[in-house]
This record gives sequence, structure tokens and C-alpha cells, in this order.
Amino acid sequence: MNAYFLPRDRVDELVGRLLRAAEVIAPKRVETGDVFYSPVSSPGEVAWDYKTAVEPLKRFLLPQQETVLRFSTGEKLRVEPVLEEKDRIFLAVRNCDVTGVNVLDAMFGGEIEDPYYMARRRRATFISLACLEADEQCFCVCGDAGPFLKNGYDQQWTPLAEGMLIEVGSDKGQALADAHQDLLSPAEPDQVAEKLQLAKRAEETFGEFRSYIAAAMRRLTLAETPDEVWERLADHCVECGGCTFLCPTCSCFTVTDRLEGDGGVRERHWDACLYNCYAREASGHNPRAEHSQRLRARFFHKLSHQWAQRNGRHACVGCGRCVVGCQAWAHMSAATEAIRRG
Amino acid sequence: MAEIATICPYCGCGCGLYLHVANSRVVGTAPMRAHPVSRGRLCLKGWHAHELADSPDRLTRPLVRRGDELQEASWEEAVSEVVRGLQGVIERAGPQAVGVLGSARCSNEDNYLLVRFARAVVGTQNIDSGLAAYSLPEQIAAVSDARIADLDDADLIFLVGAEPGEEEPAVGAHIYRALQRGAKLVTASVRRHALARLAALHLPLKPGAEAAALGSLLYELVVERKLAGDADVTDLTAALADLKPAGAEGKTGLAAALVSGAADLWQAAEKVVVVFSSALAASVEGARAVSAMGAFRALGAGPRVAVLGLLGRCNLRGSWDMGVRRGFLPGAPAGDLAAEGRLKAAWGGDFASGEGLPAWEILDQCQALYVMGDDPSRNLPDWAARRARLEQVKFLVVQDLFLSPLAELAHVVLPAASFAEKDGTVTNLEGRVQLVRAAVKAPGEAREDWRIIAELSRAFGKPVSPQSAADVFAEISQAVPAYAGLSHHSLQAAGGAEIGRDGAADALAGAISALRAAEDGAQAAEQFPLLLVADPTLGTWAEEVSVSHLPVAGREFTVTGKDYPDGMLVLNPADGRKNDLRPGRPVEVASAHGAGRMQVKFSPEVPEGIAVTPYHHAARHRIMNIVAEVETGRPVFAPTPVSVGAGK
Ligand code: SF4
Repeated sequence: MNAYFLPRDRVDELVGRLLRAAEVIAPKRVETGDVFYSPVSSPGEVAWDYKTAVEPLKRFLLPQQETVLRFSTGEKLRVEPVLEEKDRIFLAVRNCDVTGVNVLDAMFGGEIEDPYYMARRRRATFISLACLEADEQCFCVCGDAGPFLKNGYDQQWTPLAEGMLIEVGSDKGQALADAHQDLLSPAEPDQVAEKLQLAKRAEETFGEFRSYIAAAMRRLTLAETPDEVWERLADHCVECGGCTFLCPTCSCFTVTDRLEGDGGVRERHWDACLYNCYAREASGHNPRAEHSQRLRARFFHKLSHQWAQRNGRHACVGCGRCVVGCQAWAHMSAATEAIRRG
Repeated sequence: MAEIATICPYCGCGCGLYLHVANSRVVGTAPMRAHPVSRGRLCLKGWHAHELADSPDRLTRPLVRRGDELQEASWEEAVSEVVRGLQGVIERAGPQAVGVLGSARCSNEDNYLLVRFARAVVGTQNIDSGLAAYSLPEQIAAVSDARIADLDDADLIFLVGAEPGEEEPAVGAHIYRALQRGAKLVTASVRRHALARLAALHLPLKPGAEAAALGSLLYELVVERKLAGDADVTDLTAALADLKPAGAEGKTGLAAALVSGAADLWQAAEKVVVVFSSALAASVEGARAVSAMGAFRALGAGPRVAVLGLLGRCNLRGSWDMGVRRGFLPGAPAGDLAAEGRLKAAWGGDFASGEGLPAWEILDQCQALYVMGDDPSRNLPDWAARRARLEQVKFLVVQDLFLSPLAELAHVVLPAASFAEKDGTVTNLEGRVQLVRAAVKAPGEAREDWRIIAELSRAFGKPVSPQSAADVFAEISQAVPAYAGLSHHSLQAAGGAEIGRDGAADALAGAISALRAAEDGAQAAEQFPLLLVADPTLGTWAEEVSVSHLPVAGREFTVTGKDYPDGMLVLNPADGRKNDLRPGRPVEVASAHGAGRMQVKFSPEVPEGIAVTPYHHAARHRIMNIVAEVETGRPVFAPTPVSVGAGK
């Protein structure tokens, strides 16, 4: 695929054009100093120097709470789906998060398409910004999802000394580059070499968190993990659900109806497989009544070969948000360590 | 999509969170990394805080009782109904016949104006907190001096009572991280909860002997290990003589080796943080046990010690500061002349300045009740009898987010705005004053609590001047010394501002004297072989209206009521088998005081010979022995010998 160079003094011009073409979601610093992926309205709002965003991109494709259909039960039952359709460009987002979207695609865009997710997904373009320095909690190198990617993005931008190196990874990415050729020039070999240097240096900035994903995958797939590991992990988990909500690839949801007059709306909300009642049946029977069983189910879904085969890869992108968000100590890094040691 | 920075409305940790707002609707919650307590984490409740604003069950219009029915009414009708009802009682029986309960769920501004309304508008001094029976403002405020961040460099954490994982998860998160960096944990509790299983040492507390067990450990530290420093310990040695670990096991339930093991860990530490939960405060000798906590801080030698009392509700601490606390005016004890002068100036004249009645007596005695943001049904022993009494109350006003069981009895119900719909401040368990920000408009005609109170004051002919929550806070900063110099503007940054603690009771002798009279706990006997304990940290939130109406998370809380419709009785599996019981099945629980039906749960957390029930399940029944605590007069559940027979 092609690579281009965007000189530093033309970045704002390009961002301005993107803003006129679509809703642009980019890292934005809020008043507390935290960074969110959030709609921006001017190039100056983009926090280019951020490390990681509090949340992944999931919220924009699978909202925490969304109306999926309206119905009325008057004379005749009427059902009307609610689809959100607008062009969105996700700008300067992290590669782990883009990889997360690719895993979600396997869930919502597979054999049975989820129309609500796909309506948003089809009109989304992902421009990633490769990381030159890992954040404290990051371990994407273990998750095969960054800091630089070979593919999976529409465009991948790398901040070089004099401007952006733009690598194209899809037809959508190419079309976007074509539309703004006047600002770009083909990348020179030394610019590509500069990127490779930066990528190598970035890999050296990772901190204490590691995830033994290969070892954990093997043990989980072969069901080699003794019950005590899960029971011990359960003592390190308070079932807040934070790891699942913050995870770029977790996709559990539940559905509720809200009645209004002689009709109402159906809503979908994030849910968590770790919650006691997630799998509870109407009879009161709970197939995963024990906390340790729920943890096992979650990590099996994340890391077993059975699931990796279905999704095209395992479901940890190493963003480390579960490390930040864990109310106790049962995040991916702690869990894979426990599984490995058995 | 906008991210509004605010504070979680649930427990006393005061976690920072963001509400996501789209199309004037709150559509999500995100954690705040920049927050000094929560640091990017939230618990189950916090993660679903947006659902509180968005619940379809919210009250949206005032309700007025007409005959047997609560009917929708306009605000004008409802307000004049409240004035008429309260004035009727005042004319017949005087203002003291009106009782007022404030709320740990509401902001400082709400509570402050409520106190002003009670004392200066209605003219009653009978104002207290609905949580009064299991929280001990005097004792907790006196001993608790630590900040949550003290846990981050402690090398020994001594956790007394139940685990924070259920009641104050954000404090639990700091403990889990301390364990990861190698800090040691010693736990002392009846249940062997998750953190107790991870502890370097667990001291199994005998129900009812909590104070004695703490006394025994103090004896070891003070007398055997000589950690009192320069203090003269002669009196103290004598006072604690019968708690000397060797020989006191019968009384304390603790083997001498365990006490000495805990003392070894204590001596090896440089900084100890003692954390105690409301399970200790609610225990039968809670006032003594909590006071004794001050003694750990007063040890003159050995490690540095800080004490952290956990408070299970969002603004419990702030509501106390505002005067929602028997015997207290905003910022000072009743009788403090300087405070009276300040308040007279602010409130425009005389007000009812006396000590007033505690919550349980307010419920028993007052002819009219005004309850803001609370349902004391869960928080007082023997609720059934009290509820029968409430049905006799001449005039009951409830202002809340949902039609709570208490509101169903009311004559007037006023719909209130939730945390997501109002500006204000809350003060967390460590004294951190933080800003809560309106993210959306309240549903229907619901209004901020403080605004409702302001409107009522006007209708009573005594208008208050504040026009906004920031104005109310400006008055608070004048009236309550600890809040001096603060303003909504100065509290903008994540984490707000920390105010001083009253914690002054670090005289060893004072704390020890609290233990002097430690009594023998109740013993199970042949006829009643199990000792039943009420635990406020078990199923703390189950069925509470503020979580049970959440569209998604409510499921996790209401399930307790589905599985244990008559109340949950937790037993060790061995005791269950011995009595031929099955999990989930109803059983008859009987004691010398009464009997009732509950459903059984097995858990190895509970030691053999003991049965544990959530505090509010105990409150529904008349099974347990309810005694009046000597120090406070509050009704407390004493551990009660019971028998468990197969249910019908
Ligand atoms: S720990 Fe407390 S303050 Fe924090 S999110 Fe949970 S309920 Fe809210």
C-alpha cells in the first residue's frame, strides 16, 4: 500500500478539510486533564501529544446505552428500527483501539450482522496515530496490536520530525489520500526509515505490565487451569465490570423495553459477563453462579484458540485499560500471570 | 457527546466520574483517571450512575394523598398542602412535634437548607440522619484522622470489620494495590471475606466481643510490647488486665498466638493504617469499639498510625457537617454560643437551637415527619413496629427520586432532582469536598432538593436569600468553619478540597476507658445453637431504591430479594448440613425474642456456629435481641442465639 508525507504546517489544513467532510472524533483533553476520544470542531482541539484515552472507541459503535427500535401497539403493531447513519472520521486514535474495532467487527459483522453496529461501522474511517512512547499500563506489544501496525487501519500516521508519514491500509484510506493529494507528497525512503527507527525506539518504552498471552492461550484452550486459580482470582475481583466496559473488544449487552403510552422503545445497554445475573435464567437457575466460573468464562472468551479462530485473533489488544480500571487485581496482566503459573 | 466531570452519588468514597451527555440525555458513565481517590476506577454502582438519571421509574410530578390514593398534583397544590399539614401539627402540638430527617444521598446545600428549614422556619430541633442507628458521628469523627491516600504508603493495613469491597470499593482498590507492592494486611472480622483470605493474618472476631478483642490487642501492644511511649500505663494495665491475651480467649475468641502474631506485624511496620467499617460501628458495643480505635493512634512508640473510618454513603460525612446529626448545628455542637450567633445572623433571627431527638425517637414520637432523600425503613431495628407507628403519623412528607416504600405511606411526595441534574457539593468519608455538576435537566417537574426547601421556606413566610446552589454554599462557607474559604469556584479541580478532621481523641486513657467495661458476648446455647449477627456490610445496597431502579444494574441488586424474599440467612455449609438445610429454601429462625422466616445461603466465609444476615433483613424481623446502647441510647442488634428449623 502507498505511503505519503504531510508536512507539519499542512496538518491543520488537512484536519480542517476532514472537519468539513464528516464528524471528526479525535483525542481531546477535558478540563481535568484526562483525554477522551470525542467530537472536535477545530484542528486546535486535537490533543496530538496525548498518550492514551480513558476509553476505547467502542462507545461510538456500540454505545453504552442506545435506542435500537421504536414500537407502537395501537391498532396495528408498528416497529421501526433506529439506525445512526453518519460519516465519521476517527482521527489520531491509537492502534490498539483500531485493532479493538477489528475484533468487534468479527462479533457484529460476522454471519449474523448487527444492523445497528454495522450502520455506524460502514461509515467510519480510522486514522491511527502510532505511539512513540508507551503509557504506564500499556502492553500492546504482547497483544500484537501496536504500537505500530502493519495493517488493520485505513490510514496510519506517524509523527516524524518534519511532518506526518501517512500509510494507507485500505481502499477507504486510499480514497481519503487521493482526495487531498495537493497536500501530500509520496513518502521518501528516508522518511520510511525514520518511522522504522521510531517504531523500534517505541518498543523499548514499555513498562512493568506484561501479558503472557501465548502461554495463557495454550493453557486455556487445553483446559489446563486448575479451579484454584479461578477461585484465587475471584478473591482479587470485586465484580465492578470495569474491565469489560473499558475493554475495546468486550461486547456483552442486554436489552430492555421502555414503555411510553401505547408504545415504547427498545434499548440496548452494555452488560458484563462478570455480573452475577448476566447468565441467570428466568427460572432462577444460573449456569455460572460461582464468581470463579464467570472469570473462567471471560478469559476463555478472550484468549482461547476456539474463540481466536472465530474472531481471526485473540481478543486482547494490550491497551492496559483493565489494569487502570480494575477495582482490585484481576486484570489481563494479573490473570495471564496467574494462568501461566497455574 | 460531552463529558461532564462529577462525583459518584453512591458510597462515601467520592469517586470522580464523567457523565456522557448526548441530545440532552445522560447516556453513559466513564471513570476519571485524574481523580485522586478513584484514579480511573469505578465499582458496579459507579459504572451505572447514568442509569439513575435515566431510570423510567423516576418521580416526575408531586403527589398528594386524596383518600387512599396518591394523586398527581401541581407544585402549588403540593406546597400549600405541605404548609397546611405541617402548620396543623404545629398549631396543635407545637413545632417540636415535627421531625425532620436529612440525607446522606443529598448534597451539602440540600442538607444545610433543610437544617435551616427545620430549625429556623418550622422551629423544631428534631433533625437527624436516617442512618443514625448504625453510624456513630461522635465516635467516628473523633478517631478518624487518615486520608484514603494514607493507604498508599502504609506497610501494614489493619482492617477491622467487614471488607470495603462491598461497601467502599474504592478504598478496597487502594488496599489491593498496597498488597501488590508488598504491604501486609491483618484483618479482624466475623466473616472471612475475600480480603481476609488474602491477609497475612486473620483474626476471627467473636460476635459481640469486638471491643474485647481490640482491647486484647491493645494490651499486647501497650503492656507486653511497651509501645505506649512515655505515657503512664499503670491505670491502663489494670483496666485491661482481664483482656491479657493469655487467658482471655474465652472472652475475646482470639488465641493468644494470633494476638501476638498481629503484634509482631505491627512492630515490624513503619506506617500502619487502621481501617474500620460500619460493621464495627453497628456492632453491639460499636460505640466502645470505635472509641477504642483512637488508642491505636495514641500509642507513643512503634509505627506511625493513622485511622480511617469508612462511611457507606455518599454524603454522610457532609450531612453531619451541615447539622443533620442529633445535637449538632451546622459546624458546631448545639449550645456553642459562637455558632448560634453566626447562624442567627445568617438565618435572620432566633431558631430552635436545642439538641433534639435522635432519629429513632423522631420516628416514634413526632406527629409530623419531613423526610428528604431517605427511607429509614432499612436502617433501624424493628422496622415492622416502627412502620406500624408511621402509619399513624398525622402528616408525612417525603421528597425523593423514586416512590420508596416510605413514600407510599406519605401524604405528600415531592419529586427531587438526581445528582446528574443539580449543582452542589458532597463531602467524602475522608473530608474531601467535591463539586457535583448538573449534566441534564431533571425529568418532568422534579426539582433540586434545596430548591424545594427554599420554596417551602418562602411559602411559610420566611424566604431564604440564596438563588443558586453556589449561593447556598457561600452561606455554608460562612456558617460552617471547616468550609470557610471554599466556594463552588474554588472546588473546580478534580478531587476538590480536603477539609480538616475533628479527630482529636488520641488520649490513650480515654480510649482505653471505653474498653473497661467490655462485656462477655452472648453465647449460643443448646436450645439455640447458632449465634445470629446482623451485618450492615452484607448486601448493603440490595433493594435500596437508588440502585434497585437502575435499568441494568438494578438486576444485580434486586436479585437478593428474589432469591431471599424473606431475608437471607448465611451459614457455614457444615452447619447447613448438620441441620439438613438446602440453599435457597425457607427456614424458621427462632430465638428467645421472636421468630421469622428466612431463606438459607451457604458460605464458607461464615464460621461454624454463626449465622449472618444483612442488617436490613434483620431489621424487617423481630428475631434478634435489640438493646439500647449505653453510650448513645441507639437501638442495636445484639448477637442473638437462634435455632434454625426446616421451614414449612
Ligand atoms: S466506590 Fe463508591 S464512590 Fe466509587 S464508584 Fe463505587 S459507589 Fe461510587
